[in-house]
Amino acid sequence: MIVGEQKPIAEIKESIAPYSKILILGCGTCVKTCFAGGEDEVAVLASALRLAFKKDGRKIEIEEKTIERQCEDEFIQEAAVAISRNDAVLSLACGAGVQDIARCFVKTIVLPGVNTTFIGILEKQGTFTEECLGCGDCKLAIFGGICPVTRCSKKLLNGPCGGSRDGKCEVNPDIDCAWQQIIDRLKTLGQLDNLRKYIPPKNWRASHAGGPRKLVREDHVI
Amino acid sequence: MEFEPKITIFYCINSFSESALSHVDEIDHVDIKYIKMPCSGMTKDVYLLRAFEAGADAVIVLVCPEGKCRFVEGNIRAKKRIKRTKSLLDEIELDGERLSMFNLNPKDKDAAAKIIKDTLLKLKDLGPNPAA
Repeated sequence: MIVGEQKPIAEIKESIAPYSKILILGCGTCVKTCFAGGEDEVAVLASALRLAFKKDGRKIEIEEKTIERQCEDEFIQEAAVAISRNDAVLSLACGAGVQDIARCFVKTIVLPGVNTTFIGILEKQGTFTEECLGCGDCKLAIFGGICPVTRCSKKLLNGPCGGSRDGKCEVNPDIDCAWQQIIDRLKTLGQLDNLRKYIPPKNWRASHAGGPRKLVREDHVI
Repeated sequence: MEFEPKITIFYCINSFSESALSHVDEIDHVDIKYIKMPCSGMTKDVYLLRAFEAGADAVIVLVCPEGKCRFVEGNIRAKKRIKRTKSLLDEIELDGERLSMFNLNPKDKDAAAKIIKDTLLKLKDLGPNPAA
């Protein structure tokens, strides 16, 4: 899932200050799961902002709505009426959702309420970890399903670096050494020989370094 | 006190009963609103904030002592959510001190009255809810 974190209230308050009618639009998929932009977070943010503006003696109308996904036009249309009756939309979706709303409603001010952070997993309740950089050239088969590009601080494809201590990364001892995990996992799978192969330098053109990417599935295009 | 304080009390039914405060004269002039919960694990940030939106000057959450929650971890969850809501109140400059949680032994009949009295003293410094 895409993991995000709600922006500080002060930053949000400043961004919506010029407007008197705001729609806080939540997204019921990834950012709901990471407690950044689902229905509950919309309600809390709306309440906090109402209190904050009232304290300042300012009246602001805040409408709350959450749709299933802000990255698909079909779902976005469900918010069309609510969007049309407000001065601006404060989107609690990831950056993709914010941009899709802006693309669909060209005359509407769309403001981000979430900092999109990474592609990750729910490691345990309340803890999310980054697992994928979206590099466009997945090599997980070689590394036993553990991505050194994302999880090794040095992004080493031919590791380990030799600096880890007790399975922890020397760059940040709070994180596990990805290469220790890769070796442990390949041992378990009986595939340690995978590491005898030299992995050539990564082709970063498939990643964002090659500019914005596009995927077209001709069989789905009408 | 120059204003008539409004206090909202969220309480777990296993830790407190409204009758515990019915004979306390000192709090006669206080506007207290009670919100009953089957367990303090139902404490949610949005309900606490809405109590302030409804005009509460202070919000108190009464929960069972740690380790005594009938549903095991309700009061631990409440504690964490209250901590987060307090920081949110600080962030919007409403003062997190207006929100507090107490672990209450239901056998201690005077504890709730003391909590209210202490809250009233605190409100003398904090003043009325500026967003009411």
